[in-house]
Amino acid sequence: MAFRLRHRPLRLRTRVMVSFALGAALLSMVLSVSTYTLARRNFLHQRERDTIQRAYLDAQNVQRQLTTQAANADQLGKALQSVATGSGTYPVIQIPNPAGQLVDQSTNTQFGLDALPARLTASVRDGNPALMRASIDGQTMLVVGLPLPTLRVDGAIGEYYEIVSLQDISQTLNTLANVLVITMVGTTLLGIALGWWVSRGVLRPIGAIGLAAEAIASGRLGTRLEETSDPDLERIVDTFNHMAANLETRIEQDARFTSDVSHELRSPITTLAASMGVLEARRDDIPEGPARAAVDLMSADLQRFQQLVEDLLEISRYDAGAIRLELSEIQITELVRAVLAGQHLDVPVYVDPALENASVRVDKRRLSRVIANLLDNAVKYGDGPTRMEITEVDDHVRIAVEDAGSGVSESDRAVIFDRFSRGSAAGRRSSGSAGVGLGLALVSEHLRLQGGRVWVEDRPDKKPGARFVVELDDAARVARSDEATVP
Amino acid sequence: MRTHILTVEDDERIRTAVKLALEAEGWEVAEAAAGSEALERFEQRPADVVLIDIMLPDIDGFEVCREIRKTSDVPIVMVTARDDTHDIVAGLEAGADDYLTKPFAPKELSARIRALLRRTRSVDAGAPHLRFGDLEVVPDEGTVRLAGAEVHLTKTEFRLLVELASNPGRVFSREVLLERVWGYDYFGDGRLVDVHIRRLRTKVEADPANPRHVVTVRGLGYKLQT
Repeated sequence: MAFRLRHRPLRLRTRVMVSFALGAALLSMVLSVSTYTLARRNFLHQRERDTIQRAYLDAQNVQRQLTTQAANADQLGKALQSVATGSGTYPVIQIPNPAGQLVDQSTNTQFGLDALPARLTASVRDGNPALMRASIDGQTMLVVGLPLPTLRVDGAIGEYYEIVSLQDISQTLNTLANVLVITMVGTTLLGIALGWWVSRGVLRPIGAIGLAAEAIASGRLGTRLEETSDPDLERIVDTFNHMAANLETRIEQDARFTSDVSHELRSPITTLAASMGVLEARRDDIPEGPARAAVDLMSADLQRFQQLVEDLLEISRYDAGAIRLELSEIQITELVRAVLAGQHLDVPVYVDPALENASVRVDKRRLSRVIANLLDNAVKYGDGPTRMEITEVDDHVRIAVEDAGSGVSESDRAVIFDRFSRGSAAGRRSSGSAGVGLGLALVSEHLRLQGGRVWVEDRPDKKPGARFVVELDDAARVARSDEATVP
Repeated sequence: MRTHILTVEDDERIRTAVKLALEAEGWEVAEAAAGSEALERFEQRPADVVLIDIMLPDIDGFEVCREIRKTSDVPIVMVTARDDTHDIVAGLEAGADDYLTKPFAPKELSARIRALLRRTRSVDAGAPHLRFGDLEVVPDEGTVRLAGAEVHLTKTEFRLLVELASNPGRVFSREVLLERVWGYDYFGDGRLVDVHIRRLRTKVEADPANPRHVVTVRGLGYKLQT
């Protein structure tokens, strides 16, 4: 059973950090915006109240000093002087004179009557006080307009305005906004840091579990997670350790079983082989006939049985992962020739001249088994090996065995290296001939362990037959200038 | 006198079959079913070759091997039912000259024994007296002296040293040493050579960790120098 993990576009840690950052940013944004809005409203409200209050006082003051008869610019200016309090406040006054003309005056030409919004002046002219925020000359200003009803000529009444700069408030608000933005960024960064810290806390146990699992996978079966007092982690730690302990026991049992089976099988075979040796030595004493034929049969099949048991044990060691390579440097041509001699085979060997004295770093016993098994395979299923080749392709040493049999069909090429697989070769095996399909499986296992591979192809000369090619790991090639000096 | 072989094996059937096979070769065979019994037998009558199974009911095969080595340089073959490196190397470290893994063909066993017996006969080093700095080898007498003091070597170690000494400075590959000292063909186990070289160094080197005489030539083999 395997748990399929949904495809995740981001790492867990990144996701935790992003979540924290977003949360912090959102929260600080809401707080900042409401702070800003409230502050702004309070400031403006306060300023409006103050302004209105003062404007009424000022208007009364001005109204007392003036009469419509004395409505000229000088008088208006003088009256305004008395109310022009503080900077940023610009009073404007307009009153009708006896001739029915309107006379106006302001302390600052920039903020004269013309600059005032029409809606405001219209309202005041109708006798209603008015308050308005307006942008005058590029600055936000608060304008209060008050009618002066005692200064009346016909239908026209006096008007008094006070223009108050909001520059200081907008500066304060700007500063506040800056502070809030900085706070927001800071909070977001803090969120990221917090996310990193929290994810580290969460991921550390996961990392520890990962490392422990890796250690177990690489064979250190005794690896356990440290006990923890955190109840959330305790369960997973306990479960993991329990699992690791079970695995260790299982693997130990498997290894012991293999070792026991190995011992149990080897002992009787040893007895059989030794006894058979005695019988073989006395073969001539056995009269020709059924008894001698039986001894010969037993002798042949005992060898086959022995080989099969050896192969099975070897392959079970691979399955248990209990294989240790015995690497040594050897001359590849020497090895191939020695295997041929050992098999009592006389096969022409083509050797790439560059490889004549070349050394490779391999497990000598296993590589010779590989070559012997391929030769054996050629003898059993390919009418005997016809040619061998030792070549080098891209730093990989290749050893090829060719035979003149009926070849291996395309469909068999993939499965021929599986255990107990004979492919369609089984069809043309003479019944009773020795051999089961572990030889090629072992070839493949032996090579895989050493970083090499094996495959089967057609003969390059297009004649019928198969060509088995062994390719060694490129790391196996030993570059040596003095390799010819090996005695 | 007939060659006398002591076989130590707890499995009675194997022991009997091996005895039959060895007797068929014309050798005289004594049996022991346990470690302590083997040591007693050996004390009563030293054998020419000893076969020791590693798994024994009382003292294990390694210990039997070490005990015998205390008093004798008789050729010892360890027999193991597991061909894992640990057992093989441990057996050789304990002082065995060679090893066999079960199941072995009786022909293989008698070939090993014959090779070991040959080794105990005289060796030809081409010179009566060889000297390498503080190391002296006298092949005819079968003696080795380090800085004047006699060093006790097993027959295999002596043979190995004389082989290297026969051509000082020349590099001997493991394969060549296996063939000349153990009588193996190309497929002998290089660990035999490595372990014996290691043991030889503990005896003929003043500092075995930094050998001066028996030197490793990486990737090629070993050589002897002054």
